[in-house]
Amino acid sequence: MAAEAGRDPRAWLAVDETAAAFLSRLLSSRPPITLPPPLHRSPLRPGNVVEIAGPSNSGKSHLLLMAAVQCILPKEWEGIYFGGLGRAVMYLDLDCRFDVLRLAQILRNRIAEGCRSAHLRNGDPENDGTKDEFQCSLENTLFSDCMQRFLYARCCNSPEFISALKTVKSQSRREVSSAGIYFVMIDRHSIGAFYWIDRGSQPARENKGRTLQSITESVVHELRKLLQLQPALVLVTKAPIYGEGTTTANDFNRVSSKYILADSTGLGYSRQEEERTLSNREYMPSIWQSFVTHRINLQVEEAEVPSVLESEVLPVHTSEWVQPYLKTKGKFSIMDDGVSLIQ
Amino acid sequence: MAAAGGGGGGGGRATTSGCGLKRRYAPHDQEEETMNQDQSSKEDWCGRLWNGMDLLKDVTENKHVLPTGLEGIDTLLGGGLRQGQLTEVTGPSSSGKTQVCLHSASHAAVKHMGVVMYLDTSNSFSPSRIATIIDGTNDLSDQRGFDLPHKERLKTMMRSIVCKSVFDIFGMFEVLHQLEVSLLNDKVKSGGRKICLLIVDSISSLLAPIIGGKYPQGTTLKPPSPPHRLYPGISRGRSMMISVAMILKKLAYKHNLSVLVTNHMVSAGNGAVKPALGESWKAVPHVRLVISREHGSNICTATVLKHTLLASGRTAKFVVPS
Repeated sequence: MAAEAGRDPRAWLAVDETAAAFLSRLLSSRPPITLPPPLHRSPLRPGNVVEIAGPSNSGKSHLLLMAAVQCILPKEWEGIYFGGLGRAVMYLDLDCRFDVLRLAQILRNRIAEGCRSAHLRNGDPENDGTKDEFQCSLENTLFSDCMQRFLYARCCNSPEFISALKTVKSQSRREVSSAGIYFVMIDRHSIGAFYWIDRGSQPARENKGRTLQSITESVVHELRKLLQLQPALVLVTKAPIYGEGTTTANDFNRVSSKYILADSTGLGYSRQEEERTLSNREYMPSIWQSFVTHRINLQVEEAEVPSVLESEVLPVHTSEWVQPYLKTKGKFSIMDDGVSLIQ
Repeated sequence: MAAAGGGGGGGGRATTSGCGLKRRYAPHDQEEETMNQDQSSKEDWCGRLWNGMDLLKDVTENKHVLPTGLEGIDTLLGGGLRQGQLTEVTGPSSSGKTQVCLHSASHAAVKHMGVVMYLDTSNSFSPSRIATIIDGTNDLSDQRGFDLPHKERLKTMMRSIVCKSVFDIFGMFEVLHQLEVSLLNDKVKSGGRKICLLIVDSISSLLAPIIGGKYPQGTTLKPPSPPHRLYPGISRGRSMMISVAMILKKLAYKHNLSVLVTNHMVSAGNGAVKPALGESWKAVPHVRLVISREHGSNICTATVLKHTLLASGRTAKFVVPS
């Protein structure tokens, strides 16, 4: 290239494409995606890596399922508008906690809702909730179409994860005949799992070469390769890790903060928040941190185990975009078939 | 299995792979071994990409629900213990956790659902109690519907409950490994009764001693010699806990087992109690139940802490017959 430039420097300065052309090309090949709330506040495009962090039971896997359903539903089908993307989703389950029945439930509810609203719009007074055979078979076809677009793989340890990433492209081409993967979801709630196992293996065998650093490097490398070939939106869940010594400290904090709560509620609350942010310390190696482009934190309002919870009151979850930083925190609660925003 | 030492299971042969694998980090002298291991994991791995409809089919066909025999709990769980999932029952001491385990075991035996493996860590397994529970159930017919004399029935049912004692985490690893090997071998020959339920009572007494803050880097808990070659890379408390969890879940999923574990409660400061084993364990089970018992009564209350399908927070009362 340098030799060519030597011959004709002016060729170097020739315009490749104008900004308008660049933008239009980008928008067509990587269009912005709107995810269901609370992920909708930040514009996302394929090629972005979103990290959803939060303690256990804060709704991270639920968000992934919602986004998956959004992706596999078609935009429009038989005249009914669903607003989905109609593309394939690759779900890598590092946690082995995925329940396909839950996905099926959410999908069926969405399809039923869509069909119902379409009928209402068409003004069908005869269809008062009872579905006929044709309707059922229609819904079933759509359901199976959508489920075919959902690809799932489970990995039990880091080497499996890495080999899964390597073979995803070739395997998916066999399964999905259409455009290919659009979302990659990695459910690593207990990334802590691999973290501890890999950290544990560190001093045991020095020559093994499988340190946490190297594993993360290869994971990031594989993901980048995958994204180059197939631009996709990557959603990753992450749970905070509590260091070996900090659990007792946290307990102390919690105890003392409760006592302070009795005196002045303001101070107590801020102490609790502070302790929460303390526990969210970043434990992934820097190569992973630089790979992630967006971050969102989820929390549940109630911290303890409720012994008796009324059926009407649903726990409130908060979401907070850390990167890019948004000042407002969203509040939502999880229903059977989706997420409802509160505010 | 990639984790079980070297190229154990099916990866001994060196095969050429379609996409040229490049190892970024392994030093050259290790390349051979890691290449083989990686290929073996890829071999294990090929064909494991499921799509949604396949998953659904597998769940509806292979993974049944095992009722526990206690009505309140069954309604809470949506039918019972689902195969392929790990259910945790937690509660303060003498709240009925062991009773739940014994009931599930007996119920599985009575209904001829398969072999039950009971891993007992605190000598709480009581054959006489099982016999009482089995005697208490009404429907006692043989698998083929024949009517056997009472003693014979009891014998065959109790024979399908296998009880093993484990007293520390390394013993647990051994037992699980043996189970895994025997299950893999069983896949080849057909017939025989397959294991359907695995109960660990209680898993927290195995794990709690090793995950506390008292085991820093230089752990004083020495693994038995020779060093654990079955699951390499395990030398830290919390990683052992997560490894056990992953092994249990993998067993549950691959061999259609339902896994039931019990946990105890610890104090959470200011008089409240919370389940033991900390935050890292919270993510492990699919379903978590908390049970409690009023003092001196038979009626226990169960609450759902977490469930993959149904809403959490629902309660139900159930009676433990004495």
